[in-house]
Amino acid sequence: MADIHLEATINGRKIFRSAKPHQRLLDFIRDDLNLTGNKEGCGAGECGTCSVFVDGVLMKSCLLPVAKAQGAQIDTIESLAKTGELSVLQKAFHKAGASQCGYCIPGMVMAATAALRINPFADREEIKERLGGNICRCTGYQKIFDAVELARDVQNGRLPASALLETDTGEGDVIGKNVRRIDAPSKVSGRLKYAGDMTMPGMLHVQVLRSPHAHARLVSIDTSAALAMEGVEGVITSADVPGEDGFGVFVNDQPIMARGKVRYVGEAVAAVAAEDVLTAKRALAAIKVVYEQLAPVFDPDEAMRVGSPVVHDYAPDNVTKHIPIRVGDVEKGFAQSDLVVEETYSTQAIEHAYLEPEAGLAYVDHDGVVVIVSPDQNITHHRHMLARIIAKPISKVRFIMSPVGGGFGGKEDMIYQGMLALLAMKTQRPVRLVFTREESIISTAKRHPSRTLLRMGLMRDGRIRALEMKMICDGGAYGMSTEGVMRKAAILAAGPYVIPNVKVDTYGIYTNNTPSGAFRSFGALQTAFATESHLDICAERLGLDPFEIRRINAMRDGATTHTKAKLGSVSLMRALDAAEKASGWEAGSPTSRGATRSDLNRGDSRPACALGARFAAPGTQEAAE
Amino acid sequence: MARKRGRGMAACWYGIARTATVDRAAAWAEIDDGGSAKIVTGVTEIGEGILTVLAQIAAHEMGVKPEHVVIGDNDTARAPEASHAGASRQTYMIGNVVALASREARKRLVEVIAEVWDVDVDLIRTGNGEIWAENTNHRITMGEAVSTAKNRGVVPVGSATFGTDTTGLDPVDGSGRPWQAYVFGCQVAEVEVDTVTGEVQVLGIWAAHDVGRAVNPQGVEGQIEGGIVQALGQGLMEDFKLDGGHTSTSGFAKYILPTSLDVPRVNSIIIEDPDPIGPLGVKGIGEPAMVPTIPAVMNAIYDAVGVRILHLPATPEKVLMAIREKSHREAYMAAQAAE
Amino acid sequence: MLICDEYLTPGTLAEAFAAMEQNRGRYRIVAGCTDTLPWAREGRAGDVEIPMLIDVSRIPELRELRVDESRVRLGAATPIQRFLDDAALARALPSMPRCAVWFADDQIRALATIGGNIVNASPAADATPCLIAHEAEVELAKNTGGKVVRRRMKLDAFITGPGRTQLAEGELLVAVDCDALPGYGGSFEKVGHRRSLVISLVCLAVLVKLDSQGRQFEDVRLAIAGIGPKPVRLTEVEKFLCSGPLSAERLEAAADMPVSLVASRTRQEYRREVVRGFMLRGLLNAVRRAGADRQALSGELEVAYG
Repeated sequence: MADIHLEATINGRKIFRSAKPHQRLLDFIRDDLNLTGNKEGCGAGECGTCSVFVDGVLMKSCLLPVAKAQGAQIDTIESLAKTGELSVLQKAFHKAGASQCGYCIPGMVMAATAALRINPFADREEIKERLGGNICRCTGYQKIFDAVELARDVQNGRLPASALLETDTGEGDVIGKNVRRIDAPSKVSGRLKYAGDMTMPGMLHVQVLRSPHAHARLVSIDTSAALAMEGVEGVITSADVPGEDGFGVFVNDQPIMARGKVRYVGEAVAAVAAEDVLTAKRALAAIKVVYEQLAPVFDPDEAMRVGSPVVHDYAPDNVTKHIPIRVGDVEKGFAQSDLVVEETYSTQAIEHAYLEPEAGLAYVDHDGVVVIVSPDQNITHHRHMLARIIAKPISKVRFIMSPVGGGFGGKEDMIYQGMLALLAMKTQRPVRLVFTREESIISTAKRHPSRTLLRMGLMRDGRIRALEMKMICDGGAYGMSTEGVMRKAAILAAGPYVIPNVKVDTYGIYTNNTPSGAFRSFGALQTAFATESHLDICAERLGLDPFEIRRINAMRDGATTHTKAKLGSVSLMRALDAAEKASGWEAGSPTSRGATRSDLNRGDSRPACALGARFAAPGTQEAAE
Repeated sequence: MARKRGRGMAACWYGIARTATVDRAAAWAEIDDGGSAKIVTGVTEIGEGILTVLAQIAAHEMGVKPEHVVIGDNDTARAPEASHAGASRQTYMIGNVVALASREARKRLVEVIAEVWDVDVDLIRTGNGEIWAENTNHRITMGEAVSTAKNRGVVPVGSATFGTDTTGLDPVDGSGRPWQAYVFGCQVAEVEVDTVTGEVQVLGIWAAHDVGRAVNPQGVEGQIEGGIVQALGQGLMEDFKLDGGHTSTSGFAKYILPTSLDVPRVNSIIIEDPDPIGPLGVKGIGEPAMVPTIPAVMNAIYDAVGVRILHLPATPEKVLMAIREKSHREAYMAAQAAE
Repeated sequence: MLICDEYLTPGTLAEAFAAMEQNRGRYRIVAGCTDTLPWAREGRAGDVEIPMLIDVSRIPELRELRVDESRVRLGAATPIQRFLDDAALARALPSMPRCAVWFADDQIRALATIGGNIVNASPAADATPCLIAHEAEVELAKNTGGKVVRRRMKLDAFITGPGRTQLAEGELLVAVDCDALPGYGGSFEKVGHRRSLVISLVCLAVLVKLDSQGRQFEDVRLAIAGIGPKPVRLTEVEKFLCSGPLSAERLEAAADMPVSLVASRTRQEYRREVVRGFMLRGLLNAVRRAGADRQALSGELEVAYG
């Protein structure tokens, strides 16, 4: 291997270093120079967490072979606040509340810095275009645009520098004030260390072998060749689990690594700890796994049929969970109704896409405590499960939460911490695993895809007499949060409306698809899509305004829910009134009134994006149009 | 115009904290040297800003400045359990328990100071880094107060636990008390549909949500804005595709996420209907913010072009094909009527 | 992960050819790397081990840029960003700035090269239809017995199918020559699953020149991508448009012509719809920019497709 002798200027300092030819600039600055402010979010040039300046031009450092830095001047996020004082833009991000999980923020700050360098007077639409290569999953971007506009105006003297300071404190109650986020300075500067930024002396790198099959029996796993490789310190399979294997949120149906059979493509089968990532990858290729393919099942309806392949022996009907809700008698309710509307809705699986892919470190400390450091949404429960799995008392298992670069429910499952623990125990060295984006997408839980049959019966005046819903969700190969998702979906299915007759059934079904799990809004999103679309269909049939039909049926103070729980104060009417008023809603039935409405194009929406905001500068062809 | 606009709306409700099971959280609080404060609890900051919320609550309860509140790391060997990050529960569960623990720490300090000043405990006030007694000239900094207390052998600490009064669901009819706090919300969406390509752009969202009490309004807006954009991703473009168990969308080139060019302007309206059970009146916002967005957008598409998308996501292809099908259907009906 | 033992950055064509000669069968040519690095990842090629990467982006000849009155010469390693930054280039290639904005984000445009976009031969390549409309010719060079032999061919002949070109073993794409068309009205229409940084489902490049009254086409160039195995020039439609005065009827008739060309493996019906709509929208935008007499067109058309 011919190392590259790199001469470059990094953040104003000359460096002379050798680098591996396969390294990307991102690897070099993070691994060799320990400048971990810029992150790896996707490794494919799509997300911008790695954006740095190369000779003053913003580029995605995951797309740059390190050789391209030869002779160049590289500036990373660390260059912006070198003396500790945040730049105007960083202060503006702090002030505007533009950072949430913070993982995209170093790249976003770099992109914003570039935008204002290129055009110090860029308007909001041009700012949006110039940030178009940087993805944020938390903020919805709005506060980021606000921050860039604030920084622009301060830089141009249109606003005083004091506009960057906290304005909303001082005397009086601190609750209800826009106190600036206490963790924002560490995020806008890139100083905050996420698990993938952390290293320990003697640390080994972990890679995971994953199943290429959706449903197959594990006939044999031969790890001997991998173990014999130079630089490989440990290889584990489910045979290395010392205690009672199995984790989950509601049912412990998932082994740390596949045991006996694999149930989905991407399931962990074995893991390797080696001196470097490349060696660990090569060791994976040396593990010989013999699979015997089993008939898979991918469709939840088919999985529910008698005779379908069984995913878990404990659930021969493949039903992970069924939740029923019953109020009154729906058939009677439909018979009394003037209008009965039936429709089928479906929603797709989606990925959490937090910008921080899973990562974690594990080590065994001086007291023999197995310590796991990871961005984990539920360390209390995971400690409990892991202690049983590795057969240790709870006092000998310690979970430390590292900063979470976005979760949205996707980091509630203990899908890799167990492997880290086993490898740390086996090698007695610190170990670290950093998922690639692809690995994260392939192996972790998704939002439950759903198919919903909804029937609603209403009186001519808009009162709902009966609602019947049956929702079938693909829970995938493991239970994870399916039970809870089905429960919340069912409880909230009929919406915040008084309905005398309700019949709801939600089913979470095992298949050989990627598991579905917890995802922000937990089943309520799927049922609300159906119910709230349906209400508009019914409103049109009855000639009612959408707000009106909801007001007619709205739960009021003291209402009883569909689970027969008594409510106290109900703020629904206030919410309806507030949204209607704020939007200047023009009342009318939801027929396609479209452009004939009087409430469109107010000042508080945005212009449609036509791309090319930069052409709109005075004197250009576009401006003339 | 080839680009047609329309509006739609949808409402939502949501339960706060764990569902149909008892939820619980604990915290330790200390008013520390120099008038700073220390909070230790198993809180999980996942980006929503819970650390800032807790700092504000602790500052409010103990009378210190929010920037002087230190929050310990979430570590199972060092912090009391506060359970997980999820279920829109952290402001409700951990916010309330931090308030209770802070109150206990404050009480310890106030009792010592009242004794030193020889005034009634009820006359003692704290705020913004100071402690004073009403109708007297007694006023010192919190740092001085802590020092006074420690000199008398008292470290002002407190601890608390907070649990919910909830039940499971009946396995037959689902009856039960799954939550003790509910929130409600409503969103209006304005869209533009390009009838040449089928693209949908969401231009504006007006989102009214009850949060009980907004500890940090900017943070609440951040949750609403972020939730709406996530929902919009599912509504319009995101699609994790599987074929025979294999995904064809394993990277961000194929798994399409909303970028800065795809997001609406969000106008948030925060409604405060305080929770009567917890000490603060707070509830939650993380999840409910994204619940009404998709139906509001789909209802707006219908308003704009008269097609109803029942199967997500509403990709350009799906929308355009539905528009064409509709016009063919209408042409056919017109022809039938003419005959 | 792309794993290589050696990464070479030759400073001249001769050095590049020497390295290619010595490492026959064990190298890959790279330039902007914006396609190669994402290609070597899971879900696509996976981990790829290539002994040598030869980066041609620093060879001066490949970075050459020349704008004459009638022709433009683009070195193969010209970054896409140049189409936005270079005013002379933007004047000579009127649909290219809009194409560049759609092509990717600022950061990728700074790296991605015109040569890379051509050689990858993606059926949905954004820049290729623009270049084809400009009568682009590629210049290829090869080292044969110590002598650099060059050949030229039309860009649409050079690309033979998805990911396939006539580039021979040991041959390099050196430059692209194309017509300078200042004064033409240009437009570029594209649809993907979002606005930024996305693969085209369909994209269309339009260049038109009108007579001084803005009532008659003097020249029309149309090329489309995303509808079949490779981008195509719509010469029949061009001829038809030039054969009579500018009118709404003529545009509508022209818009129907390429619909039958859609031969993609997926989303055929959708693409047909979009092609027709884009033809009208693209032509309307281009004729407007070329100074069309608005009275020659019906307002209705602009309302329906603008």
